[in-house]
Amino acid sequence: MTKKKQEHEENLKGTLISVFFVGFVIVAMWVAVYLMYLSQ
Amino acid sequence: MLAAADRKLALWNIGVAYTAFLIGTLAGLLQVFIRNDRLELPAWLDYYQILTAHGVLLALIFTTFFIFAFFISGMSKSLGTFGPKVLLWNWIGFVVMLTGTVLATVMIVIGEASVLYTFYAPLMASPWYYVGLALFVVGSWIMGFALVGHYMKWKKANRGELSPLFAFMTVTTIVLWVIACLGVVATVLFQYIPWAFGWVDTINVELSRTLFWYFGHPLVYFWLLPAYMAWYTVVPKILGVPVFSDSLARLAFVLFILFSIPVGFHHQLMEPGISDFWKFLQVVLTFMVIIPSLMTAFSMFANFERAGRKNGGKGLFGWFTKLPWKDLRFTSIFIAMAFFIPGGAGGIINASFQLNEIVHNTLWIVGHFHITVGTPVAMTFMGLTYWLIPYLTGRKFSNTMKKLGFIQIGLWSVGMLLMSTAQHILGLLGAPRRTAYSGYNGHESALEWFDGILTNHVTMAVGGSILFLSAMLLLYIVIMSAFVSPKAVEPDEFVEFPLAESDKRATPKFLENWWLWIGMAFLLIIIAYAIPIAQMIQHAPPGSRGFITW
Repeated sequence: MTKKKQEHEENLKGTLISVFFVGFVIVAMWVAVYLMYLSQ
Repeated sequence: MLAAADRKLALWNIGVAYTAFLIGTLAGLLQVFIRNDRLELPAWLDYYQILTAHGVLLALIFTTFFIFAFFISGMSKSLGTFGPKVLLWNWIGFVVMLTGTVLATVMIVIGEASVLYTFYAPLMASPWYYVGLALFVVGSWIMGFALVGHYMKWKKANRGELSPLFAFMTVTTIVLWVIACLGVVATVLFQYIPWAFGWVDTINVELSRTLFWYFGHPLVYFWLLPAYMAWYTVVPKILGVPVFSDSLARLAFVLFILFSIPVGFHHQLMEPGISDFWKFLQVVLTFMVIIPSLMTAFSMFANFERAGRKNGGKGLFGWFTKLPWKDLRFTSIFIAMAFFIPGGAGGIINASFQLNEIVHNTLWIVGHFHITVGTPVAMTFMGLTYWLIPYLTGRKFSNTMKKLGFIQIGLWSVGMLLMSTAQHILGLLGAPRRTAYSGYNGHESALEWFDGILTNHVTMAVGGSILFLSAMLLLYIVIMSAFVSPKAVEPDEFVEFPLAESDKRATPKFLENWWLWIGMAFLLIIIAYAIPIAQMIQHAPPGSRGFITW
């Protein structure tokens, strides 16, 4: 129980934010090209 | 250290891989100068000939032989020394694959197969080129099955146990490869070869392209999964942490079997002859691949954060500075991963139905595969090369080599940034791909594309030249590690195979139930492909005779 709890309590906030950043890059690039599509 | 026979097998594969790398990168260098109108080839050499050589030798030959070298080394390390049968079949597969490679390469070099890497019909190469490709695939299957045989022997001796993560991932990749190749084998054996030998007059072009892309997209994952294997199993060891989650890693891999194959239509979005419904269905399935990709991203960042915190990193991102940046094995792979962020994002744009109209036949696509296979995959393989060859040869990897390695990856990164950024932007402006140099008859709009600081032929040529310099430096390191560097004597001089511990106690057994995943993969393939392929055969368009345009 203690070990399991410890594993779950690892601080991975930086990881979560980093993955959100990756998601943001994906969305930003997609929207940029989508706007180009609309304007053509 | 691995058994001598296993090491020899792996080293031969690496040898062929880097021979292909040498010719392939040289072809790449010539290309950027031709596109810059700074080089005119002699009459016996054609732009499309070297473009074909560049694509085939780097994307197909270099990758596949290197992947098998990595598999062989890792399978021997994690499951034990190969038995005589596994060795024999591996050698048979290697020879068949090499025969196919030589045959296909000779056909390209003598100007009988300038059909580009996708060999789209109705461009028609010498039939021997297609025979070479078929032998290459068959050889890879033989090697793959030999490795699966080694795995099955281990499973028999360890009943009920989950296999080591490296072995599991190797088998996943081989399963994906075998299923994927069914498409290319079908089109080469039943369409291209009879057509090129003149046994039939015409070819069903739409069907051949569909079968090619049934293979062509999972081919991307055949390159990528071995790189992911290094990210999942090698990087944590270098960082000094165990694998973040054994279950997550295995689940991500089996999801790639499911979602990387029934998606080939997203390469054919601009083609007539396939109804919108089937294209849309495969676009949706393509997007499913984002799930295991982001699972992988999470795992990687978790490795970094755990390792950085262990080394004293504080705050939200303090761990980032505590990563082993001076370790060439880590930094090379980290850069590879960083390139994959825009690379992957670009892939989602390519696969989006309407956005594909903007980028489809443009230089964007060329930029895209240079920051996917050309850097995330290739630089991961470079990062592996630095330790894999000295590990296999028992030679030292000196500090000078490490410094050269850093220069090499630095040059590759700068060269690729210049070249691929130029290609991406030029593509968005409309500059076409698959063409030699063109003045566009002096058309103003077309010439404007190349006016920018980043968006011009010179930038691409400078980027390409830097890449070639980097490639030559890498070959120097390869030759030194393979033949010249002094042999390791002291225990601390031996280079290790970094393979992280993976705690599989909580991993569900069904993740290694191959029948389940292969069954689901075929179900998805049937749903996505059965009806459109049946329609392509039943309502076949008029077949085309062959064209030799060079």
